[in-house]
Amino acid sequence: MSYMAKKCGVRFQPPAIILVYEDKEAGKSRQRIMPIRNFSKYSDCSRAAEQLKNNPRHKDYLDLVSLRQLEKLYKLLKGHLKGESLKVTLEEIKKEETIDPEEDLNKLDDKELAKRKHVMDELFEKNRKKKDDPDFEYEIEVDFTKDEQAESCGWDDASDEGF
Amino acid sequence: MAGDGCEVSDLDQDKYDSAENVKIICLGDSAVGKSKLMERFLMDGFHPQQLSTFALTLYKYSTCVDGNTVLVDFWDTAGQERFHSMHASYYHKAHACIMVFDVQRKITYKNLGKWYQELREYRPEIPCIVVANKIDADIRVTQKGFNFGKKHNLPFYFVSAADGTNVVKLFKDAIKLAVSYKQNSQDFLDEVMRELENFELEKQEAEDLSEKEDLSEDGEKPKAV
Repeated sequence: MSYMAKKCGVRFQPPAIILVYEDKEAGKSRQRIMPIRNFSKYSDCSRAAEQLKNNPRHKDYLDLVSLRQLEKLYKLLKGHLKGESLKVTLEEIKKEETIDPEEDLNKLDDKELAKRKHVMDELFEKNRKKKDDPDFEYEIEVDFTKDEQAESCGWDDASDEGF
Repeated sequence: MAGDGCEVSDLDQDKYDSAENVKIICLGDSAVGKSKLMERFLMDGFHPQQLSTFALTLYKYSTCVDGNTVLVDFWDTAGQERFHSMHASYYHKAHACIMVFDVQRKITYKNLGKWYQELREYRPEIPCIVVANKIDADIRVTQKGFNFGKKHNLPFYFVSAADGTNVVKLFKDAIKLAVSYKQNSQDFLDEVMRELENFELEKQEAEDLSEKEDLSEDGEKPKAV
């Protein structure tokens, strides 16, 4: 790929996704401004991100920018259009990206469950040892036996009796 | 076998009475990594059969235990856990159980109690392994004590489907336990009697289970010591 993405951000006014990239052939750093049109506080961020990423004019430049990052930029813009402060929007985004350890996922519908699984899959993929990795071993045995004084997980509290 | 329009006969479980077939079931909340554990264990040999009618995925595996061929069917839930209860046929004739929680999500640990209770209603005696998955997320959890296993006198494994820690050991041990349970459990008639008894008990319990939660807790205490 002759375009090496360096940084990607969003501009609120006038709304645009801005990419800083290196044009490898020319050996130069450049900036590309991709105006955002027809986007309101009611728009669907993941769809908008997908459309931009697949846009024939921008596609090659955005190859190294993840869909997730683009979606996040649209979410920032959406928050701005709703009149939220940047801090509030960022907190909302963070909340969506983290898993609430108390939430009962058995109670979610397919779509919501898929969202949570997607978040968890990121860590899975990050830590995953694949068969093709040079240090892959099929059988890995680790003994975690510890002395009796081990600190409790903190999940066996009073309601522990319920077990 | 797993084709469209498969009939109940596809789930014929009589084969589990024959010497070489064992059935191992997986239990646990949504998204604790049950299927990912299966996939990590089976790697290339992983050919699941989706029985969507039953919200069920079957994984077949063959191996050798003490010189004898063993054909293992692993039963995975395919979302059936969302009803917070599995169909009776899921437990039927199972020889061992792998019960999984996610070390990152407290609720999945808390729910082990419900899964275990349901398991014991159908299969009072089968070996059950408690599995703490996703230790790759924070290896420090392996230094902590989780009481559930100890309390019910069940083997407890720390594993990671992502990096593979203890996954193969878990499944091999589960197969050994299933085989030895099958060899040592009483004869067929006894099993039938037991199933019938459970069935009666279950009917009684189902009627007033909700009000009697406190009672059943008390009832379990002596076992836990």
